[in-house]
Amino acid sequence: MPQLDFADFAPQIVWLIITFALLYAVLARLVLPRIAEVLEERQDRIADDLEQAESLRKEAQAALEAYEAALNEARSDAHITAQVAHAKLAEEAAAQNEELEAKINAQASEAEARINEMRVQARDEIRKLARTAARQVTARLIGLDPGDAATDAAIDRRLKEGV
Amino acid sequence: MTVAHAAGSPLEQFKITRLVEMEVGGLDVSFTNSAVWMVVVIVAISVSLLFAMRKGSMVPGRGQSVAELSYEFVANMVRDNVGSAGRAYFPFIFSLFMFILFANILGLIPYAFTVTSHIIVTFAMAITVFLGVTVIGLIKHRMRFFTLFLPKGIPMVIAPFLVIIELFSYLARPITLSLRLFANMMAGHTLLKVFGGFVVALGFLGIGPFVFIIALYGLELMVAFLQAYVFAILTCLYLNDALHLHH
Amino acid sequence: MTEDDNLPSLKDFEKRLEATRKRTAPPDPHEGSAGRGISGGLAQAMRVGMEMLAALLVGLALGWFLDEWLGTRPWLMLVCLLFGMTAGILNAYRVSRRLMQDPAAFDHPDEKN
Repeated sequence: MPQLDFADFAPQIVWLIITFALLYAVLARLVLPRIAEVLEERQDRIADDLEQAESLRKEAQAALEAYEAALNEARSDAHITAQVAHAKLAEEAAAQNEELEAKINAQASEAEARINEMRVQARDEIRKLARTAARQVTARLIGLDPGDAATDAAIDRRLKEGV
Repeated sequence: MTVAHAAGSPLEQFKITRLVEMEVGGLDVSFTNSAVWMVVVIVAISVSLLFAMRKGSMVPGRGQSVAELSYEFVANMVRDNVGSAGRAYFPFIFSLFMFILFANILGLIPYAFTVTSHIIVTFAMAITVFLGVTVIGLIKHRMRFFTLFLPKGIPMVIAPFLVIIELFSYLARPITLSLRLFANMMAGHTLLKVFGGFVVALGFLGIGPFVFIIALYGLELMVAFLQAYVFAILTCLYLNDALHLHH
Repeated sequence: MTEDDNLPSLKDFEKRLEATRKRTAPPDPHEGSAGRGISGGLAQAMRVGMEMLAALLVGLALGWFLDEWLGTRPWLMLVCLLFGMTAGILNAYRVSRRLMQDPAAFDHPDEKN
């Protein structure tokens, strides 16, 4: 195994020390600080951006909340308005109804009065007819005119008896 | 490495060759093929990361995303396993992770040499981690550091034995750490090499092994990442033990 | 109604904002990583074996050096080997207990406790 040739140990160790020391110097002095700097810068930048995004998000959230509140307010306003309108309409309708009813009632009672009047008239007419008919019939049957007063009395009596 | 060395031994890919012979104070510091690939690894890491981050834009492109992802991957690993106390060690763990990851992955390129397939390299890294962590623990906790080896509520009679066993278990850490990475890399590359040899030897009929090699490559890529991850996360856990002493 | 058009879009925006927040928050550390299924049993067995081998090697090496130093060959090495084996078994037990509790522990190898 060539690896166990002791004569080759010294040059390998020496050159390992030289090259590794060089590498360490280059990396520790040049490369690593550079990478660290870039990484840090980016981390800061990302943190900044994230912070900004977060504040924007909060702003948007607040705007949304305000919008929602306004919307809710508007909605309840509309509700109240609608209710008021509704009540007013109902009131109006009720008033109209009442008026109409009164009118109808008036008309009905008028009609009733007229009917009553007509009934009375009709009754008088019938009575008059009955009186005339009764006097004529009586005169024809017994040749005696009982006169208006007696006839009326007889008719009233008969009516009262519920013929 | 799969096709090129088809004729040779599967272990030949691990051979160290000296490209430039050097010696400093009696120490052999020759520039070898292993050193070449170590240089390739660190150049690849540095250039790709610097290139990916050249603009450093707010909205990252593909390359920048990968660079940032690797950063965050290791940063999360350190934070989750060590806590905020581990922040100071993040550059080291990141370097370690990237070095092993790139060495593992670049080693999969045909003809490439895998730095981490040598036990001495993985052991050097593991022992560095081990010693470093131990020193950090000793500095932070002084003598209290040794309570790491004494589980709570143990009778005094068997305590010395347990301390020795725990000490051995502690000392075994760099061995397991280095052995795991080394064995995975070596096994994977040897296997790829062997099947690469089959493909070449069978020629036209090598389509079966070829398909298998493709699948094996996928698996090895995963192992390359997994081993870098395991090495880094174990480093984090050892560091956590040393910093917080909850064994 | 207009409110029905507005409300969902704001809710939607809120949801998306929340999702983005979560996405940009520090990621969940315990997301799974690649290579769980395929590494499978062999890798776990290898891991347990490695734990035993490593502690054994430590015992062997430590014992050998102590023997060299104190001239007690081969006794300290044998003793240390014994301790190394015990430590290896202990480590292997810890690892396999973790693996048994949570097979995903291979991805989060945790050798404490």
